[in-house]
Amino acid sequence: MLALIYFIILAVIALGAAVCVFLSRHPLYGALSLVTSMVALAGIYGLVGSPFLGVIQIMVYAGAIMMLVTFVIMVLNGARDSKTPMFDKVSLFVLPAVLLLAGVVGFAFVRAPLAFDATALRGSVSLTSETLFNMAQGGPGYFLLFEVLGLLLLSAMVAAVLLAKKRLGTVESENTEESH
Amino acid sequence: MELQPVYIQVLALAIFAIGLLTAISRRNLFFVLMGVELALNAVNLSFIGFAKTLPAEQSVAGQIVPLFSIAVAAAEACVGFAMVIMLFRKKESVDSDNYSNMKG
Amino acid sequence: MTNLPLWLIPLFPLVATLLLGTIAVVSSGSKKGPAEGIVGGLAVIFPAMSFAVVAILAFGMPEAGIRETLCNWIDIPLFRADIGFLFDGLSRIMLLFVTGIGTLIAMYSIGYMHGDRGFARFFAYINLFLFSMIVLVLSDSLLLTFLGWEGVGLCSYLLIGFWNKDLANCKAANKAFIVNRVGDIGFLLGMLCLVTVGGSGILNYDALVAFVGMIVNGGHVDLVLPVLSLTCILFFIGCTGKSAQIPLLTWLPDAMAGPTPVSALIHAATMVTSGVYLVARLSSLFVICPDVLNVVLVVGALTAFWAAFAGLFQNDIKKVLAYSTISQLGYMFMAAGVSAFDASIFHVFTHAFFKASLFLGAGAVIHALGGEQDMRKMGGLIKKTPVTACVMIFAFFAIIGFPGFAGFWSKDLILEHIYTDCNWVFTGTWLADGAVPMNKIFYVVGLFTAVVTAVYMGRLIIMTFFGSYRGSKESEAHIHEAPAVMLIPMIVLTFGSVFGGYLWADSIGITFFRDSLASVLGAAEAFDPAVRLSPEIFLDEFVPRTGAHVNPVIFAALGTAAALLGMFIAWKGWGKARIPEIPKGASSAPEGYAAGWTFLWDYVHGFFVKCVFVAAWICDMVVDKILQAVQWTVGAIVTILGDGATVFQVRKVRLQVAFSILGVAALVLVVLLTGGIV
Repeated sequence: MLALIYFIILAVIALGAAVCVFLSRHPLYGALSLVTSMVALAGIYGLVGSPFLGVIQIMVYAGAIMMLVTFVIMVLNGARDSKTPMFDKVSLFVLPAVLLLAGVVGFAFVRAPLAFDATALRGSVSLTSETLFNMAQGGPGYFLLFEVLGLLLLSAMVAAVLLAKKRLGTVESENTEESH
Repeated sequence: MELQPVYIQVLALAIFAIGLLTAISRRNLFFVLMGVELALNAVNLSFIGFAKTLPAEQSVAGQIVPLFSIAVAAAEACVGFAMVIMLFRKKESVDSDNYSNMKG
Repeated sequence: MTNLPLWLIPLFPLVATLLLGTIAVVSSGSKKGPAEGIVGGLAVIFPAMSFAVVAILAFGMPEAGIRETLCNWIDIPLFRADIGFLFDGLSRIMLLFVTGIGTLIAMYSIGYMHGDRGFARFFAYINLFLFSMIVLVLSDSLLLTFLGWEGVGLCSYLLIGFWNKDLANCKAANKAFIVNRVGDIGFLLGMLCLVTVGGSGILNYDALVAFVGMIVNGGHVDLVLPVLSLTCILFFIGCTGKSAQIPLLTWLPDAMAGPTPVSALIHAATMVTSGVYLVARLSSLFVICPDVLNVVLVVGALTAFWAAFAGLFQNDIKKVLAYSTISQLGYMFMAAGVSAFDASIFHVFTHAFFKASLFLGAGAVIHALGGEQDMRKMGGLIKKTPVTACVMIFAFFAIIGFPGFAGFWSKDLILEHIYTDCNWVFTGTWLADGAVPMNKIFYVVGLFTAVVTAVYMGRLIIMTFFGSYRGSKESEAHIHEAPAVMLIPMIVLTFGSVFGGYLWADSIGITFFRDSLASVLGAAEAFDPAVRLSPEIFLDEFVPRTGAHVNPVIFAALGTAAALLGMFIAWKGWGKARIPEIPKGASSAPEGYAAGWTFLWDYVHGFFVKCVFVAAWICDMVVDKILQAVQWTVGAIVTILGDGATVFQVRKVRLQVAFSILGVAALVLVVLLTGGIV
């Protein structure tokens, strides 16, 4: 009963913040609403028994990614454009489409027989790390994915640097001209 | 009245729908990216909600996969915002409709 | 020594083809061309090795022949074919003279083709031809024979058009190739007919003989006779194409555009006899279809008669020999038509020798005169080129059937068989006495053709070697005897054409040749309805093959008389006659009524080609245009619909995504409704 009360509180915060993201005019307000929503979601993670994921959610999403978002918004101060309308005719079409999808899927969820399993394990740090770095022969092999993920992040970083670099093309063309 | 898994799924669905709505109907590039982040979060929530309905060992998988999806989301945000910077430099605008080169 | 594998025989020419082909391609860029000594040596040694293998195998061959399966060729559920070889009495004879004469002519070609730019290419083709011909006669199934059949057709095409700078040569090559294709369709359809009757295994010769034996012994002949007759007719169409019989004979005279050794090897001695070989190989099949044999007989007689007269009108020395070849092939088919397959193969054998030496002699004459082929510009060459003249005169005696020479024995044998073995009686109510025995008629035709043969060959010899030289003075000074490398093969072949006939000299009791073929052709003899059935049961159209016994000496005497009469006419006609001065640049082609006779079958072909053109025009106008109209209509409708559909095209990316979300919603709905969740 208590869990339900907590859940309702957190869900209302998360949902409200999400709606705020949708409706806010300035990107900075949107970003702040997004952080709120994510923190609330982290609370729900902890509530249903995955505290480690909740912590990761706060650190990576609410911390790192939102830091990035706000930083970029600050850098590009011109991002605040009050000229373009928030919604247009396309939005009027998108809204019923998404609502229809949500309605159909929600209907399926409601009809599905779902129940918590009492033996479900609590996603603590020790259990998560044991599973993640289980290098046994017949183990799940998540460590390989983990390594790949490292590579992915590295390449994403390199790509971001290259993309955001000023006058990238000129530098390259100079190089190619030299090589010719 | 106890907490039911369906509640979690419905919440995830609602957040996902809002994220999708934001990503598509808003024209500001920042909102597009933030909508995507929101949708990804909803998916993570859904994963965990379902994981809790599985018995003992199987429930761990559902709590590991969101880790990866968080990492992928981080990479996506990284590249995505770099692209926003690049595009903004080009046209001095964050209106996504400005970047459409499609004929017609 | 007799355990040599059979595949060695085709292997040697194949290796030579690859080697020489490589040399030809590699040296195509150089100005001088490859060394002729090496190329010529290679080109002669490989066929010679092949001949040696054949000879070794021939002497140690068991009575039943040697059978060998090399490997699997085609293996699909309904059809299975192996690459197998069959070396028996028939293929032994064919292989001996194919490889033997092939070797000799390759040697001759070294001298004839001296200095030609395509020296290596020429010998590569010659070896490829030998390979194909060996496959043709050595294979143990119709399918592999067909491979060789097509192979020799290809080589014939390549070699006729060897001097491909000249458009006329290319046209002649195309003509030969296309006319042969018509015959090949007959061959293919014949194989199909056989397969429908007896399954795919029947294409094997042994299986075919067993099959025919089964239906003959079981008394089912009447049941399958229509299909088998059709099969035989189709195979015979294939033979008319390859062996230049009416109606598919027009390509052979034009084929003389190729180098003369090619004419000697391919268009006289070996390839054109493959049709006769096929008929002999399928003798057990042909012999149970008497109607088809009658067709073969008529076609052979008509061809022999017509070609002999056409040979009379030619001025080109090679054209005379070409028509002579067609005429002699007609003789062979006449023999096959009266079920005397061994006699026809014997004539193939002797003809190969004397026709090859005639062509090589003609080649030597042309070589001596620097490319002149018109007989009206020759004359008196016996003094300048005595050896060539002797070779050709000996071969001349052989072809006209002068007693003692090879042609005498074989041609005489054929005429004798026509008289004694032809059991076709022509019946009709409109005939006065009710029935005409055809054997006498065909015998007279054959004998008369022999007279004409002697006339046109005598004309050739007289115009070329006797009298006085009619060419220009400066060209007379250059006349020279051919080099030794050309003379040796000619002399060897002359020995063959003089003494080859003594392998089967019926009059003096030598039947070696017939005995060696008996194991192969004996089966056909056993199936022959005229021998097998008693005259009472048999239809009234046939008379049993006993007849009144006629002394063979009479046939010999009549044949000799025909030859002597022909020679006499030739001497009277051209011996003293002044040949009119011909204007410069005049074509050697016949004119007037002679052209009408010579090109008779070209006109017939032309008519059929016109018919095909008309059919093609109708197809073009009706079928093609209608189809195009339908096509355009459909295209127009689709275009209009497409233009209409562009109205629905969404031009905003976000709207497109929204549509795809709607699509996902629809999909989820479908899954829900059909998945049983709702």
